[in-house]
Amino acid sequence: MKSRYEAAKNVFVDSIDIDDYIELNSSVTAYQQLQHSMEKPLKMILLFGRPGTGKSILLNRIQEKLKHQKEIYYFDTPAPTEKEFFQKLFKVLTQKDLPKNTEVNFSALIDFCKNLRNKREIIILLDEAQMYDSGIMEKIRLLSDTRAIKFVVSLHKTEDEDLIAKEHFQSRIWEIIELKNATKEDQTAYVHKKLLKKNLFEIANSIKSKDMKLIHKFTKGNYRECNKLMFTIFEICEYYDTHEPSNINYSHMPRKIIEMSALKLGYIHV
Amino acid sequence: MYDIKPLEAEWKAYQNKKKKPYYLVLLGITLLTLVSVLLYKKNIIFDGYLNKLDNGGKNIFPKKDVSSISSILVNKGLVRLEVLNSSEEEPINQLAKTSDMLVDIPILDIKEKSEVVDDNRKKVHLNIIETSSVSAYEDVEKRFHQSHDIDDALFLARSYYKKGNYDKSESWAYEVNKIDNNLEEGLLIFIKSKVKLGRKNDALSLIKNYLKKSNSTEAKNLLYKIENNKL
Repeated sequence: MKSRYEAAKNVFVDSIDIDDYIELNSSVTAYQQLQHSMEKPLKMILLFGRPGTGKSILLNRIQEKLKHQKEIYYFDTPAPTEKEFFQKLFKVLTQKDLPKNTEVNFSALIDFCKNLRNKREIIILLDEAQMYDSGIMEKIRLLSDTRAIKFVVSLHKTEDEDLIAKEHFQSRIWEIIELKNATKEDQTAYVHKKLLKKNLFEIANSIKSKDMKLIHKFTKGNYRECNKLMFTIFEICEYYDTHEPSNINYSHMPRKIIEMSALKLGYIHV
Repeated sequence: MYDIKPLEAEWKAYQNKKKKPYYLVLLGITLLTLVSVLLYKKNIIFDGYLNKLDNGGKNIFPKKDVSSISSILVNKGLVRLEVLNSSEEEPINQLAKTSDMLVDIPILDIKEKSEVVDDNRKKVHLNIIETSSVSAYEDVEKRFHQSHDIDDALFLARSYYKKGNYDKSESWAYEVNKIDNNLEEGLLIFIKSKVKLGRKNDALSLIKNYLKKSNSTEAKNLLYKIENNKL
């Protein structure tokens, strides 16, 4: 017999699937802010935030929402080489595959983009932009200067990546959107909404405010960490439910299990 | 989830670690309380003493007496004893007014000491070893012939009478009487020995004569016993 916690566990498998998107006050604000920025004649928009603050899912969400209204592309993982990146870009711009054994002539690409100005409005969402090397970043900057392509650059917020942002985009970035870690209330809503989305209201109800306080303390409001912790919590619950049901109480989440999960993930130490 | 048991053990260790500061704080508070209580009690004793010394800013006794005290109780006790001996009533009254127990402690000590002395006195006693050895009596007899000590003669008279050797007890009682004819015990042993030897009339005559010049109760009792054959 399957444990009820198995489904709950799977709710928190980390993904950027748009179906998993949870509308929270903070994410709605960020979404609206980003959408508003994209309406402006900006060359580059910087989406900033620590890992796990919901940058990727926000980009996905906005692409999904606007794909029928705008020419918007989402580059999830950076191309390993410059050649591959421009091949990908070529395809987006020309709607054609680059012939085999050919390379993109960057000067020709710039000219092509200049010709697109006022004809097409292309938005490219660059996720994990901190992984692009400086050469590519410089060329991205030049392409944005043509004003034919608008780049939304998503960056992790670390000191080093701050430098990248300053060096390459400082003069061109017109708007910076920073995603922050969730507040306790946002995180509570996030967890509950995620569970309710899968009709797991009993389990959602078993997670009380004090439990969320502890979870927020351990994860510091980070969504990815929250997913990891919730996954582990329900994994332990699933074990007890199957093997030692006396250790499980369906009406409330034992603090012991939350702490055991935190130990397993290294949030706390003996 | 295969590592649940080690995880449980780790959680238990974590719980212990988490509670450790609370235990330490609790221990600290307990120790602090104990120390406070001890200090508080100590302060009461010394404050009481100092208050007594410094009664309204006026010292009862000269300062040098207090500062030179190596042992408060002993010196206080000495002061008290001095006061009693010199019959200076004022300090006595002042001390008597205080309710502090310390005042009485040296007195108690003295009493205790005197009791100790009494105990020692009680403990000093002679170990009289009773012996039936014939040589022991011979030694005493020999010593008597040299010293003519009445105590030796009386001892022999008493001992022989007790043993039922009435000839000898009569003879030794006679020796006692020769040395001191006023010693009643010697005479009474002499009379009792005569009764035991069947010379009741002699005995009655002797005791009646003795009672003419003495009002001894013991002699009267003996007379009663002889007359009623109760000896």
